[in-house]
Amino acid sequence: MSIFCLGVNHKTAPVEIRERLAFAEKAVPHHLTEICGIGNISEAVVLSTCNRVEIYGGSPDPAAALDKLVDYLEGHFSVAPGEVEFYRHEAEAAAQHLFEVTSGLDSMVLGETEIFGQVKSAYATALSAGTTARKMNKLFQQSFTVGKLVRTSTRIQQGSTSVGSAAVDLAEKIFGQLDGCRVMIIGAGEMSRTTAQSLLSRGAKSIIVSNRSFDKAEELAAELKGRAVRFDDWESCLDEVDIIVSSTSAPHAVVKHEMINRVMAGRRGHSLFLIDIAVPRDIEDEVNTIDNVYLYNIDQLQQIASEGKTRREKQIAVCRGVIEEFLKEKGIEALAGLPEGRSGGASERNQPEPSSRPLTNP
Amino acid sequence: MDDLYLILATLTFLGGFILAAVSLRSEGPGRQGLNIPIAVVGLIFQCLFLQERGELHGRCPITNGAEVLVFVSWSIVIMYLALGKAFRLSLLGVFSMPMVFLFQLIAIVYLHFADPGPRPPVSLDPWLELHAAMSLLAYGAYGLAGVAGVMYFFQDRQLKSHHPGRLFYSMPPIRYLADALVRLLVIGSVLLTIGIVAAFFMKVVPSVSHLVISGAVWLVYVLLLSIHSAKRLPPKRLSLSSIVAFAFALLTLSFL
Repeated sequence: MSIFCLGVNHKTAPVEIRERLAFAEKAVPHHLTEICGIGNISEAVVLSTCNRVEIYGGSPDPAAALDKLVDYLEGHFSVAPGEVEFYRHEAEAAAQHLFEVTSGLDSMVLGETEIFGQVKSAYATALSAGTTARKMNKLFQQSFTVGKLVRTSTRIQQGSTSVGSAAVDLAEKIFGQLDGCRVMIIGAGEMSRTTAQSLLSRGAKSIIVSNRSFDKAEELAAELKGRAVRFDDWESCLDEVDIIVSSTSAPHAVVKHEMINRVMAGRRGHSLFLIDIAVPRDIEDEVNTIDNVYLYNIDQLQQIASEGKTRREKQIAVCRGVIEEFLKEKGIEALAGLPEGRSGGASERNQPEPSSRPLTNP
Repeated sequence: MDDLYLILATLTFLGGFILAAVSLRSEGPGRQGLNIPIAVVGLIFQCLFLQERGELHGRCPITNGAEVLVFVSWSIVIMYLALGKAFRLSLLGVFSMPMVFLFQLIAIVYLHFADPGPRPPVSLDPWLELHAAMSLLAYGAYGLAGVAGVMYFFQDRQLKSHHPGRLFYSMPPIRYLADALVRLLVIGSVLLTIGIVAAFFMKVVPSVSHLVISGAVWLVYVLLLSIHSAKRLPPKRLSLSSIVAFAFALLTLSFL
């Protein structure tokens, strides 16, 4: 018996196709049972996220199983025959693909960690639906080991990949943990909201929102569980904050060098991080010359994000090396040596292998 | 045998620094986890060297400039191993390795060409041993504070330049560096104070120049901490001051 993988992802199919193929969360156990009834498919796991729909399984005749699986998907998901080009992987290629997915190498944002939890959840669903046996149990447990190994032994997660994450990463390089950091937003635009949410997600607290239209400021402050201040009063709040995100539509600088110079005199050596995402810029460039003040504008943040992406792309080869080495040492041979999933009977299914068990001695 | 231990310790720190530098620059997996084991191996060789020299003299081996430099290096490594993790500064070890290497290289050259040989004590004095040990441990803390200052400058420059390099992502946040720097200055000053107090109980009264020099180093650091405590010196100025102060402290060693 061999393992296989069939699917589409954000690289091979547009969202219009992916949304039609997406498995409703509640219906996954039912589909899994149906898939295990197709031909000689003995095990199955469905991974359905916004960026991919993939089915992993085990069968003595994977080529035939894959054809029948395509027919099943076309029959159940309003897809015309031949409309979707599914990718198919068998044996080692299927294992390698899953390992790359779990490691975040196949994700839209390289190295992102959300996919790890999604794969875990997909496996847990199949496990509770009773559609996994030794091969899938071993394969997925291996994928979790590899996912962790890749993230800890390479730099795939290093560097920012978006303006928001660049701002947050810089803030952490200045303040460390953001738990005690206070944030002020000047201008209640979409970019400010996104950046503030990123900062909040890493622990920043007490958001102050100021906007020319006070209603908008109140609205955003309510959303971010912060406090709104009138636009005429934001300057008086400068002493209270560690991070300022500015994105007004003012045609001239709003935050001036003298203002920050005055504020810094009272900060007793504490740093101030200013993020200017407005065009034209809101914060005078000279502000960056003040000690302990770090000013970044939209171009500089975009540049960091772009460099971060390039850095992560360079890590793909290193990560693949880790995966290949893992596969060579204790991967697919161990899976191939496992007894048939179904031959052990129903009682053999659904029993995950202890992760500590040596892979070469299944 | 003692010179062999010192050479091995020196090579260990050089190797550790090269390994860390290559690892930080490479695209491959990071090897920061090796910093502590390497520092421990280097420390073992340092201890073996100091033990041999101690047996040679029959007392704490700080009888000449080379031994003092090795003792200061040993203090720096001890401080890093004791506090690096607590201060969340694993890279402090990497940055201090070149300094330790340099100190020990000078010691090797000195001992090779001008080893003054055994200098047994006239009489054993525990207060003298305490004075010497505490003072040199204080130098270790001050040395590490200087290294933290250099790291602060580096990270500040990276942040100000808007083009953070690869090392930027492996470095600790500047707030942690600034906090660690102050703590190391406090630890160093407490140790030096104990060392100076111990000097008043010594059987042999220290020379005036020794007292003046020790007092000057103590005064520089206590003044620095007092000004910081009263006025909250900006971290950049404090970093610069800690580097300059350590350079001064090192200079005074040559007069002791």
